[in-house]
Amino acid sequence: MHTQLEELVAKAQESIAACRTPNDILDARAAYLGKKSVLNGLYARLRELAPEERPAFGQLINQARTKIEGLIAAKDKEIKNAVRAQQVQQELDPGMPGWMSPFGSLHPVTIVRKKIEAVFMSMGFEVAQGPEIEDEYHNFDALNTPQDHPSRNLADTFYLQNGKLLRTQTSTVQIRVMEKYKPPIKIISPGRCYRNDKPDPSHSPVFQQVESLWVDKGISMSDLKDTLQNFATAMFGPDVKSRIRPHFFPFTEPSAEMDISCVSCAGEGCRVCKQSGWLEMGGAGMVDPAVLSMVGIDPEIYSGFAFGLGIERIAMLKYNIGDMRILFENDVRMLRQFRGESL
Amino acid sequence: MKISKNWLSRYLTHDLTDEQLNHALTFSGIEVEATLEMPQLPEELISAKVVTASPIEGSDHLKLCMVDANDPEGLIQVVCGAANCRSGMMVVLARIGAVLGDLTIKKAKLRGVESFGMLCSEREIGLSDEHGGIIELPSDTPIGVSANELFGLPDTVFELEITPDRSDLLGYIGIARDLSANLGLPLKLPEIKEITAFAKQTLPLKLRIDEPTLCPRYTARLFSDVVIAPSPLWLQVDLIKSGLRPISNVVDITNFVMLEQGHPLHAFDYDKLLKENPDDEGPAVIVRKARPDESFHALNKKDYQLREIDMVIADGQNPSALAGVMGSSGSAISPETTRIVLESAAFNPSSIRRTSYHHKITSDSSYRFERHLSPEKTIVTSLRATELLIDFAQAKVASELIDPYPLVDKAKYVALRPAYFERLIGYPMDVEQIKSYLTRLGCEFIQEGAWHKEALEAEAEIPAVCDAEPTALWFKVPQNRVDLVREVDLIEELSRLDGYDKIPMKTPPSRIMDHHASRIQEVVSRHLVTQGFFEVLNYSFNDPASLQDLGIDPELNTQKLINPQSSNQSIMRVTLLSGLLENIRYNLNHFERDLKLFELARIYPADHETEPLRCTGLLTGNQDETHWKHKTKPLDFSIVKGMLEALVEMLGLQIDSIGEYRAPWLMQANSLAWYVDDEPLLMMGLMDAEVCEKFGIDLGTLDQQLWMIDIDLHKVIELTRNAELTYRDLPRFPAVYRDLSFLVPESEKWLSISECVQSVEPALISSVQLLDQYRGKQVPEGFRSLHIRFKLQDEEKTLTEERIEQIVASVIKSLTKQCKIQMR
Ligand SMILES: [Zn+2]
Repeated sequence: MHTQLEELVAKAQESIAACRTPNDILDARAAYLGKKSVLNGLYARLRELAPEERPAFGQLINQARTKIEGLIAAKDKEIKNAVRAQQVQQELDPGMPGWMSPFGSLHPVTIVRKKIEAVFMSMGFEVAQGPEIEDEYHNFDALNTPQDHPSRNLADTFYLQNGKLLRTQTSTVQIRVMEKYKPPIKIISPGRCYRNDKPDPSHSPVFQQVESLWVDKGISMSDLKDTLQNFATAMFGPDVKSRIRPHFFPFTEPSAEMDISCVSCAGEGCRVCKQSGWLEMGGAGMVDPAVLSMVGIDPEIYSGFAFGLGIERIAMLKYNIGDMRILFENDVRMLRQFRGESL
Repeated sequence: MKISKNWLSRYLTHDLTDEQLNHALTFSGIEVEATLEMPQLPEELISAKVVTASPIEGSDHLKLCMVDANDPEGLIQVVCGAANCRSGMMVVLARIGAVLGDLTIKKAKLRGVESFGMLCSEREIGLSDEHGGIIELPSDTPIGVSANELFGLPDTVFELEITPDRSDLLGYIGIARDLSANLGLPLKLPEIKEITAFAKQTLPLKLRIDEPTLCPRYTARLFSDVVIAPSPLWLQVDLIKSGLRPISNVVDITNFVMLEQGHPLHAFDYDKLLKENPDDEGPAVIVRKARPDESFHALNKKDYQLREIDMVIADGQNPSALAGVMGSSGSAISPETTRIVLESAAFNPSSIRRTSYHHKITSDSSYRFERHLSPEKTIVTSLRATELLIDFAQAKVASELIDPYPLVDKAKYVALRPAYFERLIGYPMDVEQIKSYLTRLGCEFIQEGAWHKEALEAEAEIPAVCDAEPTALWFKVPQNRVDLVREVDLIEELSRLDGYDKIPMKTPPSRIMDHHASRIQEVVSRHLVTQGFFEVLNYSFNDPASLQDLGIDPELNTQKLINPQSSNQSIMRVTLLSGLLENIRYNLNHFERDLKLFELARIYPADHETEPLRCTGLLTGNQDETHWKHKTKPLDFSIVKGMLEALVEMLGLQIDSIGEYRAPWLMQANSLAWYVDDEPLLMMGLMDAEVCEKFGIDLGTLDQQLWMIDIDLHKVIELTRNAELTYRDLPRFPAVYRDLSFLVPESEKWLSISECVQSVEPALISSVQLLDQYRGKQVPEGFRSLHIRFKLQDEEKTLTEERIEQIVASVIKSLTKQCKIQMR
């Protein structure tokens, strides 16, 4: 048994020296120290010896075990160090481009629409949808537009052969929501609108608007100003100022036009704002009591404001795009610039 | 805190079921963490007497017991293994036929000795988890009494979570009072009797509070002639059900009163307390801070090195208790005790918390004192314990109540404006209702007066009604409700008692917005953008000529404009494809060769009531951007298919089938659709080069393929609405994988092959993967070689090697028969 032990240690020494990979180490450990190893078997054979020899030989086995453990640990360290050294040595040019999985972008108008939705949703507004193909009632009558109003002309509004028309503003959704739900109503409604305008730097026959409507007890012009300023701040930053000035719309009373201070000159006066220092954002006002009555909401109890914003116009201001037609060309060289805004 | 329903019912008249009680507690703001039912026991369980208990030969623990159960046939022979089983002891015997949970008591033979029943432990009758020995009933228990009667069964124990502000709920009476206020049920409080009989001799005690800020009140009463013995069974049972172990009458009584009143007490052995000065008349009890280097051997047999900020109750020399936390072992009640000091005190909660936290020592007492108990409760608590000590420990009162009360806790007046309730909660409550609720909580309505922000000390003058301040209702607040000090605290109580379910919703829940539709649009467009797509926006019109080029009849199912700006914008679009083809042409002309474009927008077919959302995309060129290391490759069928497959998974769509899809603008061979209810939901295919040419796209010259993807988003949104996902428990047994390689005729398609594999053992084969496909050398013409891997998993057990081989053989057999494969 003594010779067997010596041979075993010699053999272990040899195979440990031959280890090349961390896996070899694992194998060696199992072979020489594991449960089924010869060394472990020797403990069981202690009883073959005379009782007085047993302690001494047991100690020898332990010594052999310690020795093999030491050898394995040293070799393990050596191999792992070598792997690390290799990693350090690898030639690397860290400036070379990394690999990205491909990604594209949303359209800037979509990006701005989503931003607007997010701002209003954070203020507690819900997003409502309505049809683009409308009837005359929802687009004009219910919005208090007189029968002979010029906006009803073919030159301004697209009509379909089936007698319907393409909505000229998202205010139609106001009517549809108020017909269906009772106050409190606090919505925005973004979507496509249509006007018979020839495409030019600031017009397009197809464009997107976002409508905002808040009807409840005690809603006043003051809430309108608040909401407008909060929106402008969220969209264009803390330095932007807003104002409203008198105007006329058939479906609001009082009516107003909304302006924000010019984002490109900070109100100093420049080409973008035509030297006025202000940019027109859209129309607004308190929902006309006649409109409320028409949808069955008592104007003596409830009041509300509404306003509409042009999304393309906001996108153009935000990203300094000079011509609305660029937005409809869908040139990927334009789109690619919006990868950083898309997700 | 554990409370027994039977015990609670002593203070509250009710006929609530467990469920109703649970609900009432929950809506009082008391969270029920667990409910433990203690069922009625079978009538075969009765009290009995072990007449003899003798060891059984050959067993080191079994005893042969002869048990007297008033049986006309005589003594009953029972074999018992409990160490505490001895002759003369009163026990609970389960006779033959008794059913205890899963266990039915039958005649049994142990070591050859017959046994006709079982002597029960607390665990066996469901009273507690105690199983160290059998129950020992008091020796005066009559034989033959039903166990249900002895242990107050059936019963239900509720484990409650008391919020830290409600120290008034730390006892049965507090809970009963709150439920009574909440449900309008009558409260039955134990009558607390004044003390009339005293011992012949009174005992002297020197009681001093050195730290009034830490201990605003300390009362002590002395008793003589105490006889330490086990408590009566009902008291023991009460404690066990509430999670405490009975020890002996005096300790059990202090614990009982703590559970009942919510205010802890402590009893010292009078004869173990030392004098402060040799010429003092009697021993001392001094409330002071610990001295430097003072140490303390607690009842839990651990030593604590005290700090100067720890509060102790000391005798003339040494600490005999860590105040409000734990007594010392030296001053504890022992079987020899005959004279006791009963402490009922109030301590500063922060001090108790600091000490308990620092020394990592907690007790039922510290748990309560940490939550701020009122000094006013000390008297009634002490009186209640006194009564029980007289009744159950034969104690004689040997002193008047010693009661230094340096910092008197004064009751408070709080003003409440009824209108403020409506402002804060959202609906009005009338004055009489307010008074009624608060009175039930123990508040006392004093009078109306001018509102005042701060609470006033009782006996102060309530400001008269005036014009400058609103009129308010002034209430005197009970002192044990340390959480009620401001107007809002009272309002919270009112709202709680009236029920939070009465609070009206002001704004109805979001109802206008279709959150689901916007989320699905978001998922689809984000997915496409991360796959490299750019979103385009085109006008909402179709050109009739373009529709014709695509093979779509412009007269069919379309809506036409009367006044289009030009004839090529005269139809409300029914497809997004023509616009996308325009965009592809435009960008190819600008030398962009790798393009992935999509539009997500409404279309306007005439037969559709709504304007359905559609998402269509076109893609051509390479999959990725060029890279120096990872070479890009041209888009192909499997890449495009993978994009849609990923989407199907992301949206959690349940697809019925995947199959051929035909459209006039697509090459038939490479087209595919995912179908639900026989309608295509997602579609893909290779654009027909001839169609493309009509749109000015010359794919041949460019040597590129143009792929189309198309999603009926409207349908996707409706199909995924309200879809729910249910988690499946992870498999408990390991999965096994097996690979097969075979030749298969080209006519056999992958879907039928994988289906064929799965159908062999649908319950066990959980997935089939395609690892490789090969055509060419060594594969005969008209065949391809496939390498598949399938996963075997049984939810019930580990599959044996034998069973696995059997399944593999069936799979091969089935594939050979149905798909004409040849094994390689
Ligand atoms: Zn400007």
